[in-house]
Amino acid sequence: MGFFLRRLSFYFIALLFAATLNFIIPRAMPGDPVTMMFANATTQVTPERIAAMKELLGFVDGPLYEQFFIYIKSVLSWELGTSVQFYPLSVNSVLGNAFGWSLFLAGSAVLLSFTLGSVLGIFAAWRRGSKFDTIFSPGMLAVQSVPQVVIAMILMFTFAIGLGWFPTGNAYTPGLTPDWTSWTFLKDVAYHAVLPLIAASIVQVGGFLINMRNNMINLLAEDYITMAKGKGLSENRVVFNYAARNAMLPSVTALSMALGMAIGGQMIVEIIFNYPGLGTVLLNAINARDYQVLQGQLLVMTLFMLFFNLLADMLYVVLDPRLRKGA
Amino acid sequence: MTTPQISIRNLCVDYITADGDVRAVNNVSFDIGKGEVFGLAGESGCGKSTVAFSLMRLHKPPAYISGGEVLFDDGNGAKDIMKYSDGEMGIFRWSEMSMVFQSAMNALNPVIPIVDQFTDVIMRHTDKNKYEAVKRAEQLLQIVDIHPNRLSDYPHQFSGGMRQRLVIAIALALNPKLIIMDEPTTALDVVVQREILQKIYALKEEFGFSILFITHDLSLMVEFSDRIGIMYSGELIEVAAAKDILESPYHPYTHGLGSSFPSLTGPKAELKGIPGNPLNLLDLPQGCRFQARCERVTDICRRKATQLRDVQAGHLSNCHLAVGGQPIAIVETEAVAV
Amino acid sequence: MKGLIKLLSNNPKALFGCSILFIFIFMAVFAPLITGHVPDKRTGKPHEYPGAIVKMAQASPDGWVAQNLADDKRKMLMSKKADHVLGTTRMGRDVWAQVAYGARVSLAVGFGAGIVVCFLATVVGISAGYFGGRVDDILSAAMNIMLVIPQYPLLFVLAAFIGEAGPLTIALIIGMTSWAWGARVIRAQTMSLREKEFVKAAEVLGESRIRIIFIEILPNLISIVGASFIGSVSYAIVTEATISFLGLGDPGTISWGIMLYNVQTSSAILIGAWWELLAPCLALSTLAIGLSMLNFAVDEIANPQLRSNKGMKRWEKMAKKDKESRTPHTAVPSFAGVKDLAGGEK
Repeated sequence: MGFFLRRLSFYFIALLFAATLNFIIPRAMPGDPVTMMFANATTQVTPERIAAMKELLGFVDGPLYEQFFIYIKSVLSWELGTSVQFYPLSVNSVLGNAFGWSLFLAGSAVLLSFTLGSVLGIFAAWRRGSKFDTIFSPGMLAVQSVPQVVIAMILMFTFAIGLGWFPTGNAYTPGLTPDWTSWTFLKDVAYHAVLPLIAASIVQVGGFLINMRNNMINLLAEDYITMAKGKGLSENRVVFNYAARNAMLPSVTALSMALGMAIGGQMIVEIIFNYPGLGTVLLNAINARDYQVLQGQLLVMTLFMLFFNLLADMLYVVLDPRLRKGA
Repeated sequence: MTTPQISIRNLCVDYITADGDVRAVNNVSFDIGKGEVFGLAGESGCGKSTVAFSLMRLHKPPAYISGGEVLFDDGNGAKDIMKYSDGEMGIFRWSEMSMVFQSAMNALNPVIPIVDQFTDVIMRHTDKNKYEAVKRAEQLLQIVDIHPNRLSDYPHQFSGGMRQRLVIAIALALNPKLIIMDEPTTALDVVVQREILQKIYALKEEFGFSILFITHDLSLMVEFSDRIGIMYSGELIEVAAAKDILESPYHPYTHGLGSSFPSLTGPKAELKGIPGNPLNLLDLPQGCRFQARCERVTDICRRKATQLRDVQAGHLSNCHLAVGGQPIAIVETEAVAV
Repeated sequence: MKGLIKLLSNNPKALFGCSILFIFIFMAVFAPLITGHVPDKRTGKPHEYPGAIVKMAQASPDGWVAQNLADDKRKMLMSKKADHVLGTTRMGRDVWAQVAYGARVSLAVGFGAGIVVCFLATVVGISAGYFGGRVDDILSAAMNIMLVIPQYPLLFVLAAFIGEAGPLTIALIIGMTSWAWGARVIRAQTMSLREKEFVKAAEVLGESRIRIIFIEILPNLISIVGASFIGSVSYAIVTEATISFLGLGDPGTISWGIMLYNVQTSSAILIGAWWELLAPCLALSTLAIGLSMLNFAVDEIANPQLRSNKGMKRWEKMAKKDKESRTPHTAVPSFAGVKDLAGGEK
């Protein structure tokens, strides 16, 4: 329990730090931040809106720390402001919908690549030095270093445009009304998700594979593996219940680390496939210089990260009995 | 005369390296009788653990068994277990011969509860179902004086001594005929050490298994074993009954080992150790492997290879000077009190 | 140093990675000499096919190349002269020249950011690991927070606020946001080194702390710092390309990322100008893979357990031969039969 409280308080501090960054960045740029914000906007802004924005952001006349408190207050009450490009929609609503799609894509991608990578990694470590290991392990590492952009674009070009097997974008066929109870709609969503999912997962598989493989290799020297073999247990049992079960622990740590990169890389996939997640929203916000959305974005994505990190922490406790209290 | 439980003949183990093969265990031969405690002693790095692991074919690369036979009497005559296929070995392991590891904490899987570490081996080798296997596990825990309600705990929740007893209980699970114990008490304090050894001895008397007991602690071994073999640089240099090995050693190394211990009783005497360093196995001399550190080294020691042979009834030595001669200790006046 | 070179040359991954790196460095340095056109001026018709393809299609108009790859008649007409090795972009600029000159930007940003990251990570990591106490608490908190805040979104927000970020700016902001991971690793290693005896001996002798850090600790961290450096360079190159691709970079510069940005905005994919997409993709991927191989190799050299060596191969051969020579005496049952565990035999 204490472990969780500490993790939660750390995450809270991190969130505040992200908010602080949001506070500092516009003020660190030369010139009046609010005017500058709207100078590049592609939509018309009335003076009233400018004043309202200033007030919300804490750009009021007053000492800096007062501005800071006003801003933090708005963050904590989750008033992230109003979007410029979708006025008068609030940032919350713009981001909320996108959040769901990103979660869907990120969650499935991480699950898929972790499972695939770990299983392959176990196999590669157990059959270390075999043809499979010498080709596959560096091979997957090579695949992983190919930039996300490249993989997404090549996939799009080959399978969507070239061969036409999959749609070129969007989460579901445009024009279709979302109906989450309809089987045809769900199939449509799945169909549109295939290429983005592959693009988002490929980059991560290699990392998990190598991680699991290295953990297993370090582990196979342990005495309890030797004893398990000495007991005459089946190879399956030794590999899975004795070796892999222990190798998973540092893998789960790697999982939480990988999530940070995954979210960033996934943005690229979303943009290229025009998937309505946080990534596409971000790009549009950048182009429209919709700073409100941008800043809200950073907070939301930090939250995203923290959520996954917390999940990984919980998983770790479930997997490692040494972290549980009491006998 | 009954057949020995296990008969090791000319066991050779090499380490395969990029620079060539190093013979870490050279023609080691000895027998262990049924219900006997055989101690294998020697310095760190002399090869005793390598022998132990090789017997169960649990040796890790780059170790490679390059020769020898290990004849094990499993009730149906003696069979060479070096020739067993992987499948036969899987059946043989733990049911006929099991092992107690040095560090119990490292030998137990940290993430699965103790009960599973019993039941998996029991159910693998017998046709018992889970319920019966758990019952057997409880029985085993009672044998080593641990309360059966601790079965669902994890290894880290036990103390060091209890963990060692757990490992011993697991080793007993299938009533093996021979248990190899690789430094089972080295990591424990002396009080717990004594308890464990007494327990092991009592179990041996009750169930009748043989023990191959490996340690570097010679005085402990002398108390506990029936016969002792001393290894040096991968060779077995002397084998004798426990009380003979220090009282009348037939090899200068054994004599040196004995006189390295201060005696608890008797007048104070100056300690003589064994000068020099262990051999570099990549650079073996011709003749006896001990020549560089031996006080009595002669010309023949430098030329002729050694061989383990009888010097008296039940006493073997590979020293050239031991044949037909007197035990080494008799030349000194100060005998070592054991 | 000589030992290091020997180690590297024995490792096929290192050789592969190094050669790729050198090829690109060569490309970047000698760009003017190896390209026939300048990269930023219109030197040909828009969307010309690559030279070789044109020649092949012209040679056999009914062949596979002409039918599948060079099937746009109008484009074929435009590319009659076939003097662009990799074709041209929509603006009629030579693709090969852009790749070659683009290598300069990518490598510069990569190494620039790599150095910044390396420097920050090392300074923070060693300070936290060696000095411990409050310094460690503060620095570790900073590290953990930086690790938890997603890097790409932060980078994008920064880049967006800055406006059109030139390569130098990009290198700087990449450097300032990516040091946390390396710092953590270096901190862990420093902490374990600090407990080693030679460090304690130096402390007892009264050596100044700065001296201890530079003379005792730093040399032992070289392999970790090296691997972290290579990783950072690779990451920086890819990130620069991504940032430029999104349109956050300075469109006037010539880099592989800008090439991708042009592809996206000119919808080259939809028109079917695959070479314009392929060239920067291949360049990026090859360099990234090469660097990652090098990284892998440095990891292997630093951690001997991961090395595969010749001795093991021989062992495996011998073990396999033994396994095949042992045939079972009879059919092997699934378990040894019912053993009376109360002490008797079957």
